[in-house]
Amino acid sequence: MSDELVKKTDTRSVTQNKFKRIVNVAGIYGVVVLFVILGVVLQALGIINNFLTATNMLNIVDAVSMLGIVALGMAFITYSGHFADLSVPTTMALTGIVAVQMLQFGFFVAILSAVIVGIVIGLINAFAIGKLKVNPIIWTLALNYMTLGVIRVVWANKQIYPDMISSSEHATKLFDNIYRLRFFNKIALPMIMLLILVVFFHFLMSKTRYGIQLKMTGAALKAAKFSGINVEWMIGSAFVLSALTATLGGLTVTSLSRVGAWYNGAGYDFKAVTAIVIGGMTLAGGRGSIIGVLGGVLIIGLMNNLMTLLGVGTFSQDMIRGIIFIVVVGLNAKSLRSMGRDDA
Amino acid sequence: MMLNKLNRNEILSMGDKFRIYVLLVVVFITMTIFAPHFFNAWNLTSIMKTVSMNATVAIGFTIILIVGQLDLSVGTIITFAAVIGLGLKGAVGYGLSVPLAIVAGGLIGLINGVLVAKVKINSFIVTLGMLTALQGAIYTITGGNTIAVTDHQAFAISDWLQHQIIPMVTPRVIITLVLVIGSSVFLRKTRIGRNFFMVGGNSQTAWLAGVDSDSYTIVAFVISGVMAAIGGILFAMESAAATLNLGTNSLMYVLSATIIGGTSMAGGKGGVFRSFIAIVTLTMLYNGIVLLGLGNEVQIFISGIILASVILYEAYVEFKHEKLVGQRPELLKELEAAQ
Repeated sequence: MSDELVKKTDTRSVTQNKFKRIVNVAGIYGVVVLFVILGVVLQALGIINNFLTATNMLNIVDAVSMLGIVALGMAFITYSGHFADLSVPTTMALTGIVAVQMLQFGFFVAILSAVIVGIVIGLINAFAIGKLKVNPIIWTLALNYMTLGVIRVVWANKQIYPDMISSSEHATKLFDNIYRLRFFNKIALPMIMLLILVVFFHFLMSKTRYGIQLKMTGAALKAAKFSGINVEWMIGSAFVLSALTATLGGLTVTSLSRVGAWYNGAGYDFKAVTAIVIGGMTLAGGRGSIIGVLGGVLIIGLMNNLMTLLGVGTFSQDMIRGIIFIVVVGLNAKSLRSMGRDDA
Repeated sequence: MMLNKLNRNEILSMGDKFRIYVLLVVVFITMTIFAPHFFNAWNLTSIMKTVSMNATVAIGFTIILIVGQLDLSVGTIITFAAVIGLGLKGAVGYGLSVPLAIVAGGLIGLINGVLVAKVKINSFIVTLGMLTALQGAIYTITGGNTIAVTDHQAFAISDWLQHQIIPMVTPRVIITLVLVIGSSVFLRKTRIGRNFFMVGGNSQTAWLAGVDSDSYTIVAFVISGVMAAIGGILFAMESAAATLNLGTNSLMYVLSATIIGGTSMAGGKGGVFRSFIAIVTLTMLYNGIVLLGLGNEVQIFISGIILASVILYEAYVEFKHEKLVGQRPELLKELEAAQ
């Protein structure tokens, strides 16, 4: 009798799981479609112009592609139940400024040294949070300040410019092209990077053993540990992944602004968290998907685009963004709880 | 042998409690010796001025950490309260605008608290959203300009707030000290105060023991909002102006100080007075760094290093402790002796 009961509960929880996942993912893209429809209606009423054009749609994706790259890597940290990586802004700034400085030895040396710096920052986070179990929020915040201090002490508060440091025209051009290279005159390189990362990370998170072990680490740390998963390694790898995508984002941002400076990447930490959480990944860990995070990134892009087309001021945009953020997350938490899946 | 072990643990926990006082003395002596013009009445007064705002904010922030939550929005509440308090002065006067500013802080805290405790959204997300929304609201209200009050009464109040009753002690310092000591006694000595620790230690146990955890969480957020508002409005009244980056650095400042003061992010552990001492220590340190002729960038670097080393030390102690769990060292020693 009790066995049967357990079985019944089990099957129900499995179907609910699938159902939940569909609702979660469709829910995000439901909101995406809702925003697009809103834009189309506004355009039909003549309130805004040029919303539903290929150029504008590409612009939306282009504007959030860097945020998307950073958010996709950070999503692994959230998935592993460790909130967020607040050291992302200065990781972006440091890798960018190192790359510009190293352009004097050629383009590939520059990229390589930026990646090495990124990996080192990731490993420091991995050791402190994975091995020593420091609280991720304060640790990454402290590291953010230390890295910021390093940048400002070493470069003495100066900004550096690729074309002044670079060894050759060619290297400068290559560096500028990280952001500016266009395929078919339309599709920018960061968009391609974003697309590749989405496919690769989605595969990594949902189809491989690594992804499933990470899910268990995030959902139930102790259970994962006692079932033989090397949780220290899992958590550490998530932080290294996040540092790597931050490096990619940092290189792109630096290439876009053509200047290596300490403020490159400012604000990307909270923006990425916003995208991840709107995308249905909960801070409790082990829930959500990469496709969902992409949805979150697209929503932010659509929202920004619509508000700009409507002529909403930058500051009012902040206000609306904050409120929408809380409302969407609140609704998500509520719907999860009503299905009996309580979330922190 | 057991006795030895106990003593060692006790010493370790004493180290946790008193390290901030040791740090204070070390920083004070070092700066007095090395930093030129550090130890004189004028400089110490200016240190106390900086301490006052952040110390008030740290009271609320410590209580938030004690109940096991996080409030990222304190920095913007400081600015918001300052903007409301000074912006409405022209219309209704300080008599009404200051209470309004404090109520506004409390209301923001209430919204945070209800969203966290009742709607059950993670406090990190709620306060992050609140931070973004308030930031936008502040700039929308002010249009990006500093609000300054220039009438006679405002200057009189500003002067009164910074006149020295006895050397180095201004009314603002007294207000801050009263708030710090009052809330410290409230947390330690009253039943309601101690319940905050219980909620943070384990909210379910607290609930089973008859403590309404949700209400305590909400009240903690309200206190945090009110304290941040008081800190912001007093600072703005003293300088007779509300700049829009008033609270920008406060979050990192207060967070570092609270953690260095020994309050745990995990909840259930901490003290308001130690946070206050930590604020004083950090302020002295930053002040000394500037007097030594080192720039802002060194200050940022050092504050990062201090925060990082304190939490690394705490994590290391915990790490060693966890390794010992389930082991019985006295048995192992006996075995060794037998061999």
